Formats: sequence, structure tokens, C-alpha cells
Amino acid sequence: MIKLSGIRKKYGHHEVLQGIDATVQKGEVVAILGPSGSGKTTLLRCVNFLERPNEGELTIGDFTIQCKRARKQDIYTLRRKTAMVFQQYNLFRHKTALENVMEGLLVVQKMPRDQARERSAQLLDKVGLGKKLDAYPSALSGGQQQRVGIARALAGNPEVILFDEPTSALDPELVGEVLAVIRTIAREGITMMIVTHEMSFAQDVATQVLFMDEGVVVERGTPREMFSDPKEERTRRFLKRIAPEPIYHI
Amino acid sequence: MGEQAFEFGLIGVYFMKLLPTLRLTLLIVVGSIAVGLIAGTLAALPRLYRVPILQRVSQVYVSFFRGTPILIQLFLFYYGLPELVEPLGLDLSRTPALAFVVLAYGLHSGAFISEAIRAAVTAVDRGQVEAAYAVGMSGPQALRRIVLPQALVIAVPVLGNLVIANLKDTSLAFTLGVMELTGKAQTLGLLAQHFLEAYLSLAALYFIISWGLERLFLWWERSLLRKQGVAALPRLGRLGRQALMRRFAQEARLGREGASG
Ligand SMILES: Nc1ncnc2c1ncn2[C@@H]1O[C@H](COP(=O)(O)OP(=O)(O)O)[C@@H](O)[C@H]1O
Ligand SMILES: [Mg+2]
Repeated sequence: MIKLSGIRKKYGHHEVLQGIDATVQKGEVVAILGPSGSGKTTLLRCVNFLERPNEGELTIGDFTIQCKRARKQDIYTLRRKTAMVFQQYNLFRHKTALENVMEGLLVVQKMPRDQARERSAQLLDKVGLGKKLDAYPSALSGGQQQRVGIARALAGNPEVILFDEPTSALDPELVGEVLAVIRTIAREGITMMIVTHEMSFAQDVATQVLFMDEGVVVERGTPREMFSDPKEERTRRFLKRIAPEPIYHI
Repeated sequence: MGEQAFEFGLIGVYFMKLLPTLRLTLLIVVGSIAVGLIAGTLAALPRLYRVPILQRVSQVYVSFFRGTPILIQLFLFYYGLPELVEPLGLDLSRTPALAFVVLAYGLHSGAFISEAIRAAVTAVDRGQVEAAYAVGMSGPQALRRIVLPQALVIAVPVLGNLVIANLKDTSLAFTLGVMELTGKAQTLGLLAQHFLEAYLSLAALYFIISWGLERLFLWWERSLLRKQGVAALPRLGRLGRQALMRRFAQEARLGREGASG
């Protein structure tokens, strides 16, 4: 289980996250929606301490961390239990697909090389890149790079994977292959928090939807509740803007 | 005694006579680049990590060595340093001129090297570092495994230019009486009043060494690139890399000479 309680983050005087609470059960997929600048990225980055929250408490499985009092060791522990898939993929550009996936296993988990190689090759195979093990990121399409990013995130066996708009940087024709991979691993019961603008994907895959605006969670619910019968005016306006065709007919 | 008529054959003779002196020139180059790498790294760190006061110190150091002629720097070290440390009870009057030369050239190169390190490290995009942190790496692990290998590829051609510039700069060391290549050539020319022949063989020698260094650094860069997949720098691209190198070539006041990419 993942639990966020009262997460706050300030940049200067601007409070970007104003006390976020969320609970994610094992195997759940939480879709985070909201207009640009509402704090979605910052929230994900707070969960693995790429940004240090100013206040709040994080629980991942049996590990709880008081954000204010987090020490280096706590942060490393937290990061081993989480993984992140970035909008810009952020692959290690001097390493092959296989080396990208192996890197964390070798350096962080200290796994023997043979074992790391085998596990990484399996994961790349799973995301459909079994034939691209030795390709460098520069030789891969955006969709392929993002799938390497997903294999890298899976490698450390995290308790939750954080996706920050994983398909936003992709050409439209490459979005599908990445969403398909995410869908597959979601079905395998991997816990995810995913910021996305792909509404039909969110509706299809998510077990829980959070709608954020100006640093607060405005509304939350099941996809059915959120998409077909949003309670809050702000949610309604956002959904109308992003999907003018009412998708609740689907 | 006027200057003698030009004798072509003397060029070869002088060339052979200069060869043994090459050792001293290369010693100055190697010594000062070693000093420069240490000084440059030390100067780059506080600026990369934004360490409050040290950052200023490093800026002043870099500005001074970039903003004053190297000849003046040589004189300041040779004549000024002994005076400066004398009140501390240190007697440098017997320290060989060579030591001052290596120190001055070393700190001079260090200023440019620190800028090269800074540019190369900042050229590796932040996102990769965050990805390294996200898989659980520590700061030093991310630096060693992700940032430095990529920064090195960017820095090598710049470093190549700096070493070649350093080689040519060592020709000023004779002003302090250090008998390196230029000093030796001058002496040879003076003895027989065949300056032109002496300087031609000197130029040939500098050119050959520079050319060799250029090839060496090019080979190093290429082998690093091969190891990292040829297009390991797509963020910069070939044009971007050339632009970066041009910027450094300019800053090092090298113009286009010795550009090794
Ligand atoms: N490093 C930062 N420094 C200052 N302000 C930031 C920083 N990162 C994000 N912000 C601000 O925080 C707000 C939320 O940003 P973000 O979390 O990226 O929103 P979203 O992902 O929902 O678009 C924005 O107003 C943004 O300008
Ligand atoms: Mg965002």
C-alpha cells in the first residue's frame, strides 16, 4: 500500500502542493489528471524525493518516511521501492537498451552481472524489444525508448511505478505501442501512479482517478464516477475541454 | 658579423640538434597539464556544486588566468612568488626556473580546463541524472557511471586543443632562461648566424608534435565514441559539438588552428 498524507511543496512563496492525501492499494492504477501547472509532476517527484516535500508523510509498503526529517538513507530506501518513467524517457545515452535496464541492478542492487543481464533481457523482451538489446537510445524511436524506460522501471521490482505523461513526447502513431505495454503490466498487478492526458486510456486502466488543480486534489473517484458524473464544476470544465465529445458513452 | 646566406641543408642538421631538447619541452607540457588537470578539477567543483565562497574564488582564478597574457603570468610567478613567500620563511631563490614555468603553465591551463570540465558536465542533461537517482543511485554513483563518461567524450577534443595551445605557449619559457626548444633554436641560430634555418626547423618540430597530438586526441575521442555507440551525443549533435568546441577554441584564443574535430 502507498499512502501520502498532507504532502506540501513550496517553491519560494508559491505553494505548488497544498496538502495532498492519497491511498493506493497494492495493484491499483491511479490516474492523475489536471490542467498544466496544477502540480501533477511535482506530486510524482515528491513520492520518490526527486523533489523534497516541505511537509507530510509517505508510506510505501512497510516503510514510512516523515518528509521533514528524511535522511539520505531514508531517501535511498524510498527510491529502491519506487521507479519512475519520464516524459522525456531520460535513458542513459551512452548505454545500450540492455545496459540501461541492467544499470540499476548492477550498481544499486549489486546483482551479479549474468543474473542482471538475464533479467534485463527478459524485461526488454516483455516490452517487445527482445531484438534491440544492443541498440543505443539514439538508434531507437521515441516509442521504443519509452519502452526501454518502462523495462528499466520494472527491473528493480518496485512497489510502485510513477509515470509522468509517458506518451506526451511521442508522435501520435507511437502512442499506442507504449500504452499497450503499460496496460499489460497494469494487468499483472503492478501498482502505478500515472499522470496522463489520454482519457480513454485512464478510463480503461485506472482503478482510481484524481483530479488536481492549483495544488489540491479537487475530486477523486472511480473512472466511472469521474468521467460520467463529475461532482465538481472544475472537473467538469476540464473534462469538457480535454474531451469535448462526452466519453461517458463508451 | 652579419647574417649568413641561407643554407637549406642546415634545416635538417638543426632539426636533429633540436631533438634532444624536445624532452624538456614535453616535460613542461606533461607537468603543466598534470597540474592543470588537478587545478582545473578543483576549480570546477565549487562552481558545479555552487559552493558559496569557493565559487567566487574559482571565478577570480579563472578570470585572472584567462584575462592576462601568459608572458606576464610567467614573470609574476618567477619574480613575484619568491618575494611573496619570503616573509613566510620560504626561500625559493634556488628553486629552478623550470618549477615556476611548470606551475605558471599548469595554473594557466587549469583555468581553461576548469571551464572545459564545467561545460562538459553541464552538457550532460539533468534528466539522466534524475533517472539515475530514481533507480536508487547515490550522487557519486550517478556522477561516475552516468555523467563523467559522457562528459569525457565532450571534453576530450577541447582538452586536445588546450594541450596543443600549451605546447606552443611553452615557447615563451626561454624568456626565463629555460633551455627548451625555442631557447635552444635561438642559441643555435645565434652561434652560426643562421636564424632562419633554425626557426624553420623549430617550426617543423612544433608542427609535427602538434599534428601528432591532434591525431592522438582524435583517436581517443573516436574510441570513446565507439565504446558509447557512435552517436552518443545526439542532444548536442555534430553541429552542437562543433559549436561547443568553437566556443572553447575562441575562449582559448586558438581561433581555428588545432581544431581536432
Ligand atoms: N523547480 C521549480 N521551481 C519553481 N517552480 C516550479 C518548479 N517546478 C515546478 N514549478 C511550478 O509548480 C507548478 C506545478 O508544476 P508541475 O508540477 O510541473 O505541474 P504539472 O505537471 O501539473 O503541469 C507550476 O506553477 C510550476 O511553474
Ligand atoms: Mg507535468
